[in-house]
Amino acid sequence: MTTSGISRRGALRMFGIGALSVAGAGALGACAPSGASTSSNGGDTKSKDFDFTSWSLNEEAAKPSIEKIIKAWEKAEGSRIRAVSYPYNEYLSQLTLKLGGGETTGAVHLDIAWLAAIAQMGKLAELDSTAMKGGYTNVALESGMYDGKQYGLPWNTGSIGVIANSKLLEKAGIKKHPTTIEEFEGALRELKGLGNGIVPYAAATKVAQLKDIFPWMQTFGCTLMDGDEVTIGDDASIDAVTWYKKLHDEKLIASDVDRFDARALFGQGKAAFYDDAIIGKGVTSAQSKDKTLADAMQPMKRPVLRSGDTPQALLWGGVIAIVKGKGQDAATEFALHTTSDRATTTEYFASRALPPSTTVGLSDPKVAQDTFTTEWTEKITDTATGSPFWQFAQNAQIEEAVAKQVQAVLVGKSKPKDAMKKAGEEVAALIRR
Amino acid sequence: MSTAAPPQKAAPRRERAGGRLSNGAFALLLTAPGIALFATIIVYPLVSALFTGFFKQDLRLPGREFVGLENFAYWLDGDFLTILKQTLVFTVGATIVPFVIGFALALALNSGLKGSGFLRGLFLFPWVIPGVVISFLWMWIFNANYGVLNGILMKAGIIEESISWLGQPGTAMLAVIITKTWASFPWMMVMLLAGLQTVPKELHEAASMDGAGSIRRFFAVTWPQVRGVASIVLLLEFIWNFQHFDTIYVLTGGGPAGSTETFATAVYQTAFKGFDIGRATALGGLWMLLLLILVAVYLRITERKGDAR
Repeated sequence: MTTSGISRRGALRMFGIGALSVAGAGALGACAPSGASTSSNGGDTKSKDFDFTSWSLNEEAAKPSIEKIIKAWEKAEGSRIRAVSYPYNEYLSQLTLKLGGGETTGAVHLDIAWLAAIAQMGKLAELDSTAMKGGYTNVALESGMYDGKQYGLPWNTGSIGVIANSKLLEKAGIKKHPTTIEEFEGALRELKGLGNGIVPYAAATKVAQLKDIFPWMQTFGCTLMDGDEVTIGDDASIDAVTWYKKLHDEKLIASDVDRFDARALFGQGKAAFYDDAIIGKGVTSAQSKDKTLADAMQPMKRPVLRSGDTPQALLWGGVIAIVKGKGQDAATEFALHTTSDRATTTEYFASRALPPSTTVGLSDPKVAQDTFTTEWTEKITDTATGSPFWQFAQNAQIEEAVAKQVQAVLVGKSKPKDAMKKAGEEVAALIRR
Repeated sequence: MSTAAPPQKAAPRRERAGGRLSNGAFALLLTAPGIALFATIIVYPLVSALFTGFFKQDLRLPGREFVGLENFAYWLDGDFLTILKQTLVFTVGATIVPFVIGFALALALNSGLKGSGFLRGLFLFPWVIPGVVISFLWMWIFNANYGVLNGILMKAGIIEESISWLGQPGTAMLAVIITKTWASFPWMMVMLLAGLQTVPKELHEAASMDGAGSIRRFFAVTWPQVRGVASIVLLLEFIWNFQHFDTIYVLTGGGPAGSTETFATAVYQTAFKGFDIGRATALGGLWMLLLLILVAVYLRITERKGDAR
């Protein structure tokens, strides 16, 4: 047997210190915020340096114009902005984690559909007084509100609608945009007849963007919610999904398509219709080899079930919110400048075709005289509505629950009636939870 | 400073009267920092996570509510068996297929094939590429609308219309297994090749002289010699695949319609897409219990190998 030179008492003391360290670490861990807290990140609110988080910084077509705004601000203010980005489809979960961990500061770009979920974390600064200085339109201001308070300064306010490729329509002998479901189906079949691997309508079939089914459900008469009651599962929603499945089975829409696939197909001239926001024109034409594609892109009223019905579209937009804590004041000024400075918004419009959210910005000749933008507003935004689910923090889960059931129908794993019944029950449970 | 006592017939466990430490106590003292670190970064989060499974807790919001076994019941009454089945399909497929390919290549490289050194390097190529990159690469290959695979099959006249490899339940799991196979077979090949190189050539020569053909030699000489390595390789790969995440998440995200959902993707989706940390940790706890069984098997096998030595 060998013995060490350390006495039992000394060893016990060291064990004691070790045990206390572990217990201390455990206690500290237990005291750490579990997921989210209402405190700010504790930094210097007067700091001139801050982060700007935006999914657009992850997109080639958008990145240069946003970087230009950032650089101009840094030069003018002598500050440093750290640009942070996550892909759009991962943005909400990544941002939530970083915010919860206190790692996100400054300004954050938010889809208006996510505002409730993020605002409920208690990390965002209220911007009511700042918003008054921006000259935003009322609709735009409302898109940045949650629970009666202004949490986001509206950057862009628009809608998601159907974009058509006029060159392909002409090739298929389609003289005018289809206005009813029946005409639309007919047009899709004509387009399919062109062969050459054409996907007539590059509709979303992947979960990430299957929320696009909501305007079609509304087209068939489903209101999604009636008061506090979830109406998904009613006959109209079943009819909508049955119709979507029919398009899928007839290969008028394709499997495995999200927004990015749809843009790629449209850009290659292999899709005649797809759903996108107004931003789609800039993004899709920029990545297309066909330099005449931008001229062929036309906003189209979503076909209706019966003549005279109101075409459905989903409101869409982006706001800039401010995280309480480090750099809060400078980030607020940056957000105000980015979203309301006339020269900045006009230049941003020129590079990205994203109309501004201010009255002055919208009246700028470059915006007001842009045919695509004015047509988009008339044909799509004018009748667009927000989702009734945006008010819930669980909006993302609700959209996903419905999307998964629709996908189950498309791949033949479920019947429309069963799937929509289940979707409705899941949405109701999520709202209650 | 330590004082070494002379060797004893039976090492007494208690310390000597002078208050000096025994070997066991000294060993415990030396491992204490490691144990403390392990407790801090593994045990505490693990216990904390398991504990969270008994609460209703939103990742975004402060506070939580004790719900007992409700989160566990949610899974056990719901999708648990489906997820288990799909996890097993993926795990078995992504273990057996690369094993067969890796073993075949290892045998070929061990046979003294010309250029085997170059080929060994070439076959290792997929192994050095990060898993996420491999997954994106295969996602483009399998893409339904502009993927390379459909292009080749259509040009060859094998199919007339493109197939949605990742968009149909029947083919999505197959695509995921193929991708994981491409990433895994080099590691298996290297391990098995190392095992094959330990087989004495004399055994093969003796068997040949006794008239054994190549198949007989494989089963009578090669396989008994590499069986130990093969079983460890298979078991480790099985355990890793049981926990695998990136290939499935990048390629299908668990879809279409949940047909490639495994424990890893389900926990991630529930925690970071659904923000339901209570249900996610409950599923994680159930998943961990199953993993513990696999780990016990692994330890049993390695112990047996140790005893055999």
